[in-house]
Amino acid sequence: MLSNLGNFLLFLNILLSFTVIYFSLASLKSAEKIIFRKIYNISLAQSTIVLVCFFTLIAAYITSDFSLINVYQNSHSTKPTFYKISGTWGNHEGSLLLWVIILTIFSFLFLIINKNHSKNYRLYTLIVQNILILGFLFFILINSNPFLSISPVPKEGLGLNPILQDPALAIHPPLLYLGFVGSSIYFSAAIASLLTNYSERAFAKSIKNWILVSWIFQTLGITVGSIWAYYELGWGGFWFWDPVENASLLPWFAMTALFHSVVVLEKRNLLYFWVIILCLITFTLSVTGTFLVRSGILNSVHTFASDPSRGLYILAFLSIMIFSSIFLLFKKYYNKDYIINSNSKETFVLINNWFMMFYLLTVLIGTLYPIFTDAITNNKISVGPPFYNAVIIPVVIVFLIFMAVGPNTKWIKNRFVDIKKYILIFISALIINFLIGYFFKSLTILTNLIIISSLFLIISSTFDLIKSITEDRIDFARIVSHLSFGFLIFFIGLNHNFSIEKDFNMKVGETKNFDNYKIEFKKLELKNFKNYKSIVGDLKISDNKFGEERTLNPEIRIYDSPKTLTYEAAIKTNLIKDYYLTMSNIDRSEYYNIKFQKKPLMLWIWISVFALTFGGFLRIFKNAKNN
Amino acid sequence: MKLKILIIIFIFKLSILKSAENIVEPNHIHKNLRCLVCQGQSISDSNSDFAQTVKLVVKDLIEQGKSEEEIYSFMAEKYGDWIVYKPQLNKENFLLWFLPYFILSFGGFIIFRLLKKKTQKT
Repeated sequence: MLSNLGNFLLFLNILLSFTVIYFSLASLKSAEKIIFRKIYNISLAQSTIVLVCFFTLIAAYITSDFSLINVYQNSHSTKPTFYKISGTWGNHEGSLLLWVIILTIFSFLFLIINKNHSKNYRLYTLIVQNILILGFLFFILINSNPFLSISPVPKEGLGLNPILQDPALAIHPPLLYLGFVGSSIYFSAAIASLLTNYSERAFAKSIKNWILVSWIFQTLGITVGSIWAYYELGWGGFWFWDPVENASLLPWFAMTALFHSVVVLEKRNLLYFWVIILCLITFTLSVTGTFLVRSGILNSVHTFASDPSRGLYILAFLSIMIFSSIFLLFKKYYNKDYIINSNSKETFVLINNWFMMFYLLTVLIGTLYPIFTDAITNNKISVGPPFYNAVIIPVVIVFLIFMAVGPNTKWIKNRFVDIKKYILIFISALIINFLIGYFFKSLTILTNLIIISSLFLIISSTFDLIKSITEDRIDFARIVSHLSFGFLIFFIGLNHNFSIEKDFNMKVGETKNFDNYKIEFKKLELKNFKNYKSIVGDLKISDNKFGEERTLNPEIRIYDSPKTLTYEAAIKTNLIKDYYLTMSNIDRSEYYNIKFQKKPLMLWIWISVFALTFGGFLRIFKNAKNN
Repeated sequence: MKLKILIIIFIFKLSILKSAENIVEPNHIHKNLRCLVCQGQSISDSNSDFAQTVKLVVKDLIEQGKSEEEIYSFMAEKYGDWIVYKPQLNKENFLLWFLPYFILSFGGFIIFRLLKKKTQKT
């Protein structure tokens, strides 16, 4: 029953999308100065129905309606209700539906919020956005339909991978999707702006808050995902430069570049085509990310969601998107005279974009390179953390210094020390770094430089903060974000440098000593829970230097459906450090492998990122107040 | 001014840190090796039999006095390039290591040109 309802609603959505496009075209032709009233209504209906469609799927999950293949494959009747609900978007089909919801709702919101913009611009945005919606709706219907039914109806579902049954992971996809898919609206707006030869400044005004919204959600999504990886995957880190993590980082770089340069467009009417290009590549990268994840081309921890045939459709869709936008861009491009003073704020925004493009392309090259070597020479290589650390970190050091210097410049005016000097310094820093890497092969130097340059940014931003308060020219948003970014890098640097890691094979009753720590393996307990059994270890860690004692309880869980073994880390967090302990069984022996880690300042890394996004919120409020 | 101070600190740091080199830390090496039988895990994070074996091999190699790079080359030769997270700098991977820096210089060049164009006009 729910299967029929769901399919019906999907068809209805396609119909409504076509109707919106049809009436938008009619409205474009009409002499009326305003958009047809009915377009608003249809657009609202569209958003409502796509939500109902999603709730239908959620209902199927809550009631464990296994007549739907999707529910049968990804759910289980004994699963807690919360995870039944989050299971809805924990799989490919459901997450695509979520994708369409965001496309549709953003389309509607953009239409009603930008009332003071030109009619044609808004209508074209709506049309392009609805073409995207149709593209994804057809994708869902053709090979990713969550409402396909199965008969005979199975008695029980296959269950959801237990490592995905976690609150952080449950909210991480919707957050990330708001970022990924949120970028669609300025993709559409950019195309519309090109088509209608819209006022460049007005275009900047209409999209700037949307960029910030998508950036905030993208940042939060990435962070929550990292937090999940930290406490659930049990290796004690939070970023592995895994292809899927990279896929979420690529649009983030583009967004960050974008909300810096869009300000230049608004204030100085410069960089119009560059902003357009950034708008286009942000969403293109989001779709590329999905393509890479879903097609299973890349080997990653996320490959539970892959299927090659789907990749083909996304690839086709992506190609059409890219080629039509490049074609349009070339058709509309014209050369414009400009004046940029070398030490003005404009230059520093360009420098920000320069670095962002470097990060973006480096991560893109690192992610895609193994595919090429595999195809061309049949040799599979891994591009992992050591590559990114070696290439990106030296550049981040210089970036941090620019980040500190840049905001103190003025628009238009040439009031600062000569920029060419900075470029020379930068090049020499690169050379020195290269030489260090060549002669010493030591990471310590880099870590030191990172800490020095992040401190440079922190101190400089703190001065800005004091200055802005005393002079009452408050630009909190920027200062908060730059300051917290400085802190973020600072804490990551310290954390990296001062982490302690030890692993032992121990059995119950044993005690191990190392440095000034003592680990005591006191006992093991077997516990039964609703959908899993658990072996809980009881270990005592004593720090002889500070006389601290902590009890940690790592677990090995045995889930019934599907049958899986997971290792749950025991983490004791405080403001200064985290104790991180994992325990795993060793086959055919009574010994357990105990891995102990001390990770200083972990909590502050998360706090810094949240403060960073808070800066984004502040900027949106300020923009709203100014309008 | 701040920058000058910074550069002085850079150079100062270099001379101090010259001594801190080449201590081969087994766990650091484990982290840079992929567990071939797991999904997206390093040798350090895995408890598979394969990881246990590799850990023993690494321990042996360190005891033989092999350097970090030599251990990676050994592993890549034995198990294929897939095992090392740090791609080796050779003919095949030249572009991987070189392109990012090329892009960086190219971007810098573009900005330089943008600014120069203006000074010619005025």
